[in-house]
Amino acid sequence: MYRKSMVLILIAAAAVLASGCASLGVKPWQRDVLARADMQLDSEPLTHAIDDHMYFSKEASSGGRGFAGGGCGCN
Amino acid sequence: MQLKPKVSVGADASRMRAKVARRRLIAASCALLGATAARSQDATKSAADSMSDEWAFDSALAYYHESGRVKAIEPIVNLSKTYGDGRTFSGQVVFDSLSGSSPNGALTSTKVQTFASPSGKSLSAAPTTYTTSSGQLVSESAPIYTINPGQLPVDPSYHDQRLSMSGNWGLPISRLTTTQVGGKLSYEHDFVSVSANAGVSRDFNQKNTTLSFQLNDEFDRLSPIGGAPVAASDYALFQKGGGKTKDGVGAMLGLTQVMNRRWLTEFNLSVDRFKGYLNDPYKIISVIDPSGNTTGYLYERRPGTRTRKVAYWENKAAWGRLVLDGSLRYMADSWHVRSDTAEFSARWWNFDRDRYIEPTVRWYRQTAANFYTPWLDSGGSKYIDYASADSRLAAFHAYTVGLKYGAKIEDSEDQSSSEFNVRVEYYQQTLDHRTPGPGSLQGLDLYPGLKAILVQVGYKF
Repeated sequence: MYRKSMVLILIAAAAVLASGCASLGVKPWQRDVLARADMQLDSEPLTHAIDDHMYFSKEASSGGRGFAGGGCGCN
Repeated sequence: MQLKPKVSVGADASRMRAKVARRRLIAASCALLGATAARSQDATKSAADSMSDEWAFDSALAYYHESGRVKAIEPIVNLSKTYGDGRTFSGQVVFDSLSGSSPNGALTSTKVQTFASPSGKSLSAAPTTYTTSSGQLVSESAPIYTINPGQLPVDPSYHDQRLSMSGNWGLPISRLTTTQVGGKLSYEHDFVSVSANAGVSRDFNQKNTTLSFQLNDEFDRLSPIGGAPVAASDYALFQKGGGKTKDGVGAMLGLTQVMNRRWLTEFNLSVDRFKGYLNDPYKIISVIDPSGNTTGYLYERRPGTRTRKVAYWENKAAWGRLVLDGSLRYMADSWHVRSDTAEFSARWWNFDRDRYIEPTVRWYRQTAANFYTPWLDSGGSKYIDYASADSRLAAFHAYTVGLKYGAKIEDSEDQSSSEFNVRVEYYQQTLDHRTPGPGSLQGLDLYPGLKAILVQVGYKF
């Protein structure tokens, strides 16, 4: 039940994004906050790399943010 | 005579003001162009710094310690640069050094258990004697270890080192379209991995929407210490062969959307398929009789293919001095593992925006692979289809709590800025579906779980 709900939420989110993209967004002069370093999706690449490696070696899941491979013989 | 220095100071100040103004203009230009809205545009520094044709340097040293088990030290360095024509480069070098005790997959017992280290060829405690090519007689102690009753079987001599290098290039081919290529090489003494990736991203809707597509190809070569064991073979027979390989391909479709002036969202769908030798060559399974006695061990055997599908949704929002980051991930694979991950962090800046603290929480749960079993019954079939006692394929849930502190260091000489940060995390894994052991194993903790801490110190400029 929970899993179905989770999938439905993700699909709904994708549908909202896909259908509403054209009406979303900002004008070029409204990007002051979005241009900040801490607002980038990749603002902490090393923290992500360290976390991804830790979780890759301890859990059965990986990827999502990037590719799931680990380049590591630990799992 | 006194005029000259005054002129010089004035000129320096003027040059400095011009430099600051230039940087602010660059930042403003970047903001107007929306150059940093999408992940594909790889902005690891502020807009002004990224476009200043200088290298951005990011480094960290991580220390990881599992309670009673493995500890690791991991230095990591990232260099990135955005060129004036829009090309980008990012390179990363990672070195890991691991040592300590690693579970071998066997079950806790009420009796002493004896195991051979991966290089061992016998379970006998008698020393190995052999003659070298120069005729010298050498006697070596047997590479075995024993585990006391009630303790989880772990190989105490586990150690490994890894060197990994990766590079990614972004090449704009038009005002709205960027291609990206990259590669990664990872080396351990018993494992080598090579991967290559390529992708393309395109902006729409005044660069508020970015669609991206990437492909990845990975090839791994395993050279386990002592050889790769024959899957499902008797542990005591030491049936081992040479090296093995596995390879995988993956594809990812991504959508990044600017929702409003303070909110950015990303949605990724990815699929990958690995095939080849997917066993863990160092993992075994206990064979248990109805009384709870261990009658032997088998090497694990996993399917030769694995397909994973992942949906990932991340949101980032700024509100005043607060930056919020939340993500959800769902994964399903052909081994019937299903997992949910939720992660949330909140960065809180001080009034001057030169210090921040960032609490993080992460929650994770997974179901077991359909061939996971903590032990095999001695009365069962001698032939097993697939079986693994690796707890990473068991049903469990885990949580992480962490705190990060960062401080910016301003250099008034050249108006540059660097950052020092430190992060501490605690991770705990608890196994679900704790099937009680038969006979004498009842009452023993067969599913001890995992507790670990991570300390990371970083510096970037």
